[in-house]
Amino acid sequence: MVASWTDNINLKKVCSEYRVGLWQCPQFLFLIMGIIIILAMLVTYVVASRYQEPELAALTVLVLTAILFALGNLVVKAFEKVALSSRSKSEFISIMSHQLRSPLSAIKWQLSLLLQGQSSKAYSTGNYLETIMQQNDRMIRAVNDLLEVNRIEDNDLILRPQKFSLKNLTSKIIEEYNKYASAYNAQISLLADGELPEVFADEERIGRVTEHLLDNAIRYSINGGKITISLENKENKILWKISDEGHGISPAEQKRVFEKYFRSPSAARYQTGGSGVGLFIAKAIIQQSGGEIGFSSQESKGSTFWFSLPINKTS
Amino acid sequence: MKKILFIEDEEALQRTMGEMLEQNSYSILKALDGEAGLKMAKKELPDLILLDLILPKKNGFEVLEELKKDSATKNIPVAVLTNLEGSAEVERALALGATTYLVKANYKPDELLAKIEVILNHHS
Repeated sequence: MVASWTDNINLKKVCSEYRVGLWQCPQFLFLIMGIIIILAMLVTYVVASRYQEPELAALTVLVLTAILFALGNLVVKAFEKVALSSRSKSEFISIMSHQLRSPLSAIKWQLSLLLQGQSSKAYSTGNYLETIMQQNDRMIRAVNDLLEVNRIEDNDLILRPQKFSLKNLTSKIIEEYNKYASAYNAQISLLADGELPEVFADEERIGRVTEHLLDNAIRYSINGGKITISLENKENKILWKISDEGHGISPAEQKRVFEKYFRSPSAARYQTGGSGVGLFIAKAIIQQSGGEIGFSSQESKGSTFWFSLPINKTS
Repeated sequence: MKKILFIEDEEALQRTMGEMLEQNSYSILKALDGEAGLKMAKKELPDLILLDLILPKKNGFEVLEELKKDSATKNIPVAVLTNLEGSAEVERALALGATTYLVKANYKPDELLAKIEVILNHHS
């Protein structure tokens, strides 16, 4: 399809393709700047020639220059955003290819060994197949996360809310992660009131959110430590909280943790994997479920991430 | 019998590589994190080290740097074996003194064995 010249002046279309708002869209900002510059020149000309009041002319120029300056600043910010997102995107591709290649290479190595009939008695063919199955699950999860990011970006995330026990869901997930946690010398414990009402949300999606938060807590518990998950009933909402004694997040990085593809460039970068989409997905799911999500963190002391979910249907 | 140390946090990879090396009469030493790997390298002085980059406790770059600083271990050939393939990572590993940089997903264990044997013959 040949793009017609009108496409270039259809700013709404251009800006929506960039997935940025009008005030973050360079094309739109330049247009506004152009209009203001023309206006400024006209007004100055009229004021200077008709009223012969140089102070007023100077003041007008000053005010319009200030507006231009503010707009210029917005343009720089817009470019900065584009530049940052393109950098994170290429970083994301390298991280994601690593995330997919890790299970793929494990599967390849194990299949190759099985095909050569060289598996030992200590680790039977069945054991190998089981590990291959787990690696396969890991890949499916990574691909699902990618699709989820895409859905969120296209505003196409459709939740299927129903009543369920967040406490039961959490204990089930803790059970699945216990072995993984002990490899990092981390112990998970669950604190919850006996009688907690059920929440109204998409159980499968909330399961993924808790998995992402727990996975992060374990990964960044680089020297082990306690991980505590607590649930409490607060004003028609259930508050879910996870605290670790791990690496923590530096103040500069705290602003960016929910950004898509963001991964800390700190030392822990090469100590653990991670796709950089977990918290981005978690935030979108929780917010769309009528809840809130947040965190507090201290470097080398640990982090606490929390989210809340409504008990009743909200509309 | 030549000793090969494999520093890798993914057990499935360690096990597979381990079995293959043992069947080809190498003795294999395994470490699951960077700190343990470094300690074992200094104690056992293996003939070759296979080193992953993303490792708990001490990452692969830190391990490589410390190996090359220590006069006892600096001449042991280190083959970086990872799934990261950014040019920055490859350059950094080679600049720190890695003998070679291999991407796990591109090789089967027997193909890796061939690579390992080339390095071992070259260094002996």
